[in-house]
Amino acid sequence: MATNFLENDLQVEDSHICVVMVGLPARGKSLIAQKIVRYLKWLSVNAKSFNVGSYRRADTPRPTAEFFDTSNPEGERLRRAAAEAAVTDMLRWFEHENGHVGILDATNSTKARREWIKERCVAKGYDVLFVESKCDDEDLIMSNILEVKTTSPDYVGQDPELAARDFRERIRNYEKVYETVDEPDSTYVKLINVGSQVIINQVSNYLQTRIIYFTMNLHITPRSIWLSRHGESEFNVQGKIGGDASLSPRGLAYADALPELVKHSIGDKNVTLWTSTMKRTIQTARHLTYLKKQWKALDELDAGVCDGLTYEEIESKYPEDFRARDDDKYNYRYQGGESYRDVVIRLEPIIMEMERGENIMVVTHQAILRCIYAYFMNIPQDQSPWMEIPLHTVIKLTPRAYGTQEERFKANIPAVSTFRAKYTSANMGGEEGLVDEDKVLSPAATGAQVNGVVHPDEVESIVTPHHTATTPA
Amino acid sequence: MTLTVDWFDFASDYDYSASDGTGNSLLRRKSNIDIDAIHNIPLDSEMAPAQLYSTESGRLFHSGKIAIVTVGLPARGKTHVSVALSRYLRWLGVKTRAFHLGDYRRAHMGPGTDVPHDYFFIDATPSSVKLRQTILQKCRLDLYHFLDHEMGQVAIYDAVNPTSMGRKQLAKEFMKHDIQTIFIESYVDNPKIIEENVRSVKISSPDYQGWDQKDAVKDYIARMNAKIPHFETMEEKELNYIKMINAGERIIVNNCRFGYLPNRIVFYLMNLHIKSRQTYFARAGISSQDDSYKADGDLCEEGVGYAKRLGEALLENRNKEREAFIANGGSPEELKPLTVWTSTRRRTVATATYLQESGFKVKQRPQMSQLNPGDVERMTERQIRAKYPDEWERHQVDPYHHRFPRGESYHDLAVRMEPIILELEREKNDLLIIAHESVLRVLYGYLMACSTSDIPTLRFPRNEIVEIIPESYNNRSKRIPVPHTNPKGVYVP
Repeated sequence: MATNFLENDLQVEDSHICVVMVGLPARGKSLIAQKIVRYLKWLSVNAKSFNVGSYRRADTPRPTAEFFDTSNPEGERLRRAAAEAAVTDMLRWFEHENGHVGILDATNSTKARREWIKERCVAKGYDVLFVESKCDDEDLIMSNILEVKTTSPDYVGQDPELAARDFRERIRNYEKVYETVDEPDSTYVKLINVGSQVIINQVSNYLQTRIIYFTMNLHITPRSIWLSRHGESEFNVQGKIGGDASLSPRGLAYADALPELVKHSIGDKNVTLWTSTMKRTIQTARHLTYLKKQWKALDELDAGVCDGLTYEEIESKYPEDFRARDDDKYNYRYQGGESYRDVVIRLEPIIMEMERGENIMVVTHQAILRCIYAYFMNIPQDQSPWMEIPLHTVIKLTPRAYGTQEERFKANIPAVSTFRAKYTSANMGGEEGLVDEDKVLSPAATGAQVNGVVHPDEVESIVTPHHTATTPA
Repeated sequence: MTLTVDWFDFASDYDYSASDGTGNSLLRRKSNIDIDAIHNIPLDSEMAPAQLYSTESGRLFHSGKIAIVTVGLPARGKTHVSVALSRYLRWLGVKTRAFHLGDYRRAHMGPGTDVPHDYFFIDATPSSVKLRQTILQKCRLDLYHFLDHEMGQVAIYDAVNPTSMGRKQLAKEFMKHDIQTIFIESYVDNPKIIEENVRSVKISSPDYQGWDQKDAVKDYIARMNAKIPHFETMEEKELNYIKMINAGERIIVNNCRFGYLPNRIVFYLMNLHIKSRQTYFARAGISSQDDSYKADGDLCEEGVGYAKRLGEALLENRNKEREAFIANGGSPEELKPLTVWTSTRRRTVATATYLQESGFKVKQRPQMSQLNPGDVERMTERQIRAKYPDEWERHQVDPYHHRFPRGESYHDLAVRMEPIILELEREKNDLLIIAHESVLRVLYGYLMACSTSDIPTLRFPRNEIVEIIPESYNNRSKRIPVPHTNPKGVYVP
């Protein structure tokens, strides 16, 4: 039976918070908004972002800078209508869809606008937290413009030079009326120059402090994260789970190939390498020369009494457990071990540190990577424990303002597949017909995939449950 | 060491030998769980209650050595912040120790001797400067010893540190020792907060016995202002600092982007306030399905009677304490209302019904649900030994970290309750917590800095309410009897 007593990690029962973003364009607001949503959802808090820009885009898909001039009454009216629609939708979501944290993603650059939003939320009994990103570092702004201009839906198909110029013009229009948040009675956090100074005012509940704590760890410096499982281990070959085994000969070959595999994509970037404290990840990383850190929190999910058994053995020794785990894999806790939910809780400091850090390569284990991957790619809990993260493959994630970009690099080294699909027998040799295609998610798209969510039609391949699935070149 | 009159941090009515550089002042007998152990030095081999992992260096979160330096005039809550922070960091497993400069000053001067009048002046006489340096030196040597030779990770240096120049020099000196410095300033410009602070922690000394409270507060503040005429608030852009304004109303964090730990500290400080309030712990009444985790039974008749006696005993005690407080010249505005927290389990909620009907606010906290006993639920010791001999063996060796099949360990419970710890700090009202014994053990363990070997054996019989009284320097615990009740919660005439 699934033991699910860890629900509600965060105290949310009476906190409905409207997080109102504040700041000029190109200050990383959408990035922050999107990350807050992802973080809270990963921790099982119902959160959603309402982007006023996308409401406005419905009427005005490709606006010019003049549209954003405050003296342009038509532009002003349309933008006001978009804000109105977004706020209305958000309030409806709180009320009817059990929303806990709604994020209003827009410039909200005037006191009048903020007062209006606050009144509407307070009238419904929701708390308001303003999150302002303030930046006067020109270099930071420019790098952010370059980032936004290449990915913003407003500039699809346009000349980048023109787009950049138009964007700066747009920002100037906002600057004319911009008022920084200093309302003494409002709850706010002001992030100045990406956290070099932070001002926190009138925080009134725990969930707010949690959100602020998280935003303080964010930065908008472009960077990537490289993820890899350890090379094939002796236990993988024997079909056993857990343990602290050494690498198999093919696993060692992967360790040898790893520096070359990531050489091109990492280049001369400054990378920190994290491993777990287990032999197989340390061995996998041994030829990489980056600064290394070992984290206990990156150790594989603890399978308790099942540690060191094969799936066949688990199925025969603990048939009920085997079934129960498939019923609710996220919440199922191995006898004397951990559940995915437990792992998420222990990974929280890791995620925080990953947000805080820059270029990081992580060599760790299947369940751990599923949780980390689910965080960055917004994978829901009923799917994340079932994702296939193949051996001998490096996944590169690059967080962008409008989603996380993914690339995969496969080493041409065969390995066993440790993947077992839902409700399949433990014997991974035969029974191909048992794969439930809806449940198997293999978001392996080689090349760029700019999206926070993986759609079923983007699934490259359904994994075949062969005991030894060699990975093609 | 007896209390002497010191005008700077003399909230320190405690017995702590600060000049013992070896840190061997284990004052509390290990098993005396009624005394707050926050100033004891934990054994190296012991894991902290919510510690997730250990390392050879003893340092966690990939942070190096850190000095947290307090800044602020007296009666701004500095000592409170440093003690609270050490409590929290230790709970997380970070080896933390607070060094209160006032202790060193008192130890150096000896009983009954005050420092020279110009001790804190910028233009102090050479002899005062020399005295200052001697005292500082001793404190810093202890601090370095702790960080370099005792596997210490965070040293909290609790002093006034009033000048910008002094702070810059300090950060430079620490940097030479490979120590990162974070300043925490307690800045207050609301006179009400200062007065309340002076009243609650500063004038309880024998010196002000027989004084009218208002006069005592005035006198203390006037003497303070004369003593430290010069104070510069933190504005040094190049230093790492956290400025708490008016007890956390506003927090300014400057330049603190260098690790997990500084941000974690800010997170904690966001929830901390310097107002003191009481916490009470009480067990839930007996239920129709007592001791069953899964059944979630309601209170039985005996339990309903207990709930009423519990509520009455608490209210009566609060009335007495309030009367005493007012009789001592306390202001009625400083009295805090009572809030009740229960878990979401039925019998804890039902135990609060009497108080709820009397008009008190009751909040349910899902994280406070009891330790999940797993497969050994409702089993006797003999049954467990027969069915799980190995597990039983392991449980005897380490009852804090061991989890029975399908169950939770105390460690799991502590980690899951961390949000409650922060909420507990955040709560401004007096607080009654009605919960299962396992939950009370963990919370009590946090507030009284109990070791992991003590926590699983703490006792909360139903004939007592445990009250935790916060003091600036340490917490005190007190037991309030619930009349006509035996330890099991059954009525006795």
